[in-house]
Amino acid sequence: MGRRSTISINLRPHIVRATLIACMVTSFFAGGICSNAADSNQATGVNLSGQPVDPLKTANGKVTVLIFVRTDCPISNRYAPTIQRLSSQFAGRSTFWLIYPAKSETSGSIQQHLKQYGYKLGALQDPQHTLIKASHVEVTPEAAVFNASGDLVYHGRIDNWYEDFGHARTVPTTHELADAISAVLNGRRPTVNSSPAIGCYISDLQ
Amino acid sequence: MVIAFPPRQVTIHAESSARTDDLKVTFTHDIAPIIFHNCAGCHHPGGAGPFPLLTYEDVKSHARQIATVTGSRFMPPWQPEPGELKFDGERRLSDAQITVIQQWVEEGAVEGQPGELPPVPHFAEEGWQLGTPDLVPRTQKPFLLPAAGGDTYWNFVLPIPVDGTRWVKAVEIRPGEKRLVHHANMLVDRLGRARELEKEPGSGFGGMEIRLESEAFDPDSHLLFWKPGSVPAEEPEGMALRIDKGTNLVLNMHLQPSGKPEVIQPSVGLYFTDKPATLHPMLLEIENDAALHVPAGAKEFAVADEFILPVEVDVLAIYPHAHYLGKDILAYARLPNGSVKTLIHIPHWDLNWQAVYRYAELVRLPKGTVLGMRYTYDNSEANLRNPNHPPQLVKGGNRSSDEMAHLWLQVLPRSDTPPDVDPRRLLQEALSRHEVEKDPGNFEAQYNLAAMLGARGETKEAVAHYIAAAEIRPKDPVVANALGSVLLANGDVRGAIRSFQAALQERPNYFDARYNLGIALASQGDFPAAAQEFQESVRLNPEDANAHANLGAALAQLGKLMEAKSQLEIAPKLRPDSQLARDNLAEVEQMIARQGKSN
Repeated sequence: MGRRSTISINLRPHIVRATLIACMVTSFFAGGICSNAADSNQATGVNLSGQPVDPLKTANGKVTVLIFVRTDCPISNRYAPTIQRLSSQFAGRSTFWLIYPAKSETSGSIQQHLKQYGYKLGALQDPQHTLIKASHVEVTPEAAVFNASGDLVYHGRIDNWYEDFGHARTVPTTHELADAISAVLNGRRPTVNSSPAIGCYISDLQ
Repeated sequence: MVIAFPPRQVTIHAESSARTDDLKVTFTHDIAPIIFHNCAGCHHPGGAGPFPLLTYEDVKSHARQIATVTGSRFMPPWQPEPGELKFDGERRLSDAQITVIQQWVEEGAVEGQPGELPPVPHFAEEGWQLGTPDLVPRTQKPFLLPAAGGDTYWNFVLPIPVDGTRWVKAVEIRPGEKRLVHHANMLVDRLGRARELEKEPGSGFGGMEIRLESEAFDPDSHLLFWKPGSVPAEEPEGMALRIDKGTNLVLNMHLQPSGKPEVIQPSVGLYFTDKPATLHPMLLEIENDAALHVPAGAKEFAVADEFILPVEVDVLAIYPHAHYLGKDILAYARLPNGSVKTLIHIPHWDLNWQAVYRYAELVRLPKGTVLGMRYTYDNSEANLRNPNHPPQLVKGGNRSSDEMAHLWLQVLPRSDTPPDVDPRRLLQEALSRHEVEKDPGNFEAQYNLAAMLGARGETKEAVAHYIAAAEIRPKDPVVANALGSVLLANGDVRGAIRSFQAALQERPNYFDARYNLGIALASQGDFPAAAQEFQESVRLNPEDANAHANLGAALAQLGKLMEAKSQLEIAPKLRPDSQLARDNLAEVEQMIARQGKSN
């Protein structure tokens, strides 16, 4: 996730510690949440043509939003209009990606899913679950927001529509994802940097 | 068809610190029987569930989720608390089954020996589960459910093309895409009222609640519904549903958007029998909407009502109903011997899972039993389903943002009254009287009680209640006409005439009032005026045999014998069994003959 300058010298244990310190220093300024430096070069998905894509490397200075979904998750599917709407709302300044963690999905099945649900977003599979690990997500749908430097600034639910399985509000009353994206676009740290999400478990897909 | 089989015996081994694979809970041996028996009924392709649970891969890919939702008892969906009275089709896991599912997930959700897998159930989703229906009413315009949004209610009106009375032994409701339908009720509309709510025939109409008029005494008898997991079944012996020419079925559907646009196209299959009904169940409704005045923020607002059964009944099914604020639903029966039966108790009401519950065995309630309901409502912010943010005062009403407190029971009245007294009438009259006592300002209650009393010949009391109804809805022509009829029966001809004229003032083309006015005028000997009213009646409804017959009689009284004869000749053509018309015609023909002789 982004490049960090190493303050200390080369002894392995020191590098790790130094990286942590550096991480904390930069995060203080950039409002980011650190992740393990070992992940930084491996957060890659696979696009529908089978090619590896690192959504953060292709961000070109924009904010990156990853939304993790499953085709067979009713909660994830009910969110499709909201996800599409948010992507349109922040178009131009952010890039939304749909990430499909299920190994059983094919390019064809994902394309069909995109069409059925009216998605006009880029889609990636995450066969090694590197994007999942980098995003700290557990269920679908769940979102991760990375600032222009590639730091994870928010992970969690899109909004508070669902409180539990089968237990949803009429309409959501808090909108954590939209708020996080707005904050980052305005150079601020999101007030809420993580929130619990409700949906089908990603771990069930392993 | 579902291949049913008993659940396998689950062996739960004692905990040990080092479990070997042999002792682990496995899918094939322990989990599949539970899932196939309790979950697959909805969780199969084309079923109501959003994903299938028929294979190891299916179940494993939702394993932790299954452990969570069964642990909270969100799944399988079954709202009533277990109690003394059992319901058909109960879907409830035992504590042991829930534990074994959790254990399976904790131990890594292993598959086990493939040879131990029980037979996978099959479901005839593409066809009718009861076989080819005798009649499938033509499908109407499909409803387009948008991708986003909240709960949606839509009603389809299905005319039934029959030429005469038929008896239906089974109804199969196929909601179309089952994933999208939370619940569907079907109502029998005998007067074509639902059609009037459509913009054009076949277009359907929206609305959560609909109320349909029924004829003077033809109470609803069957709770026709579909819920996820419903299995269609034949009615018990002798309880066929009557359908007549002109009957429509109204399918009232509760839908939830899925995230993509969907087409809702339900269909209904009717299965006939030659055997008319010999048992006559009745839907009994206890309610207290008038007491619903739920303040914003109230967490446990209670309404209650009690009704004393005037006849013994057997209860077949129960259907409690509230809206989004409903919290604790309780219905009970306090028998004359003091014992109390809980008819149903739903401690966490969820409108999404509302259902009709059929008792596994008839519940006999003797005469004098007190039927009671006690519902509480949560109108606070903590109730996630509150339609108002922030909460607002909510009253009883038909919209989804209103509340309701209804309890329906399908009962078979048993009576030791003389055979010519329909115990259902006693029951209906007692209910109407109860409603009037509870709320004298309830128009429907006053009107219905008046109608019941009038039908029974209690004309004086009927008059009082029609007057009360007219005071609630002044100028209502239907009330005025009904009041006139009982005044006439009571001998108050002048009062009757005034009432009929009032009805016609509001609705000049009101056939019944016009006809009745003719009768009233004739009864006081004013034949010219009577003939005028009958003439107008014939113009309004040329198919009505009685209008022609009475016009003929009035004309005869006025000496217009030839015109009388022609009218009296029309009557038997329209209704061959009209003896009165035949007798009158014979008499007029004699009068004509006598006139001829004296000329």
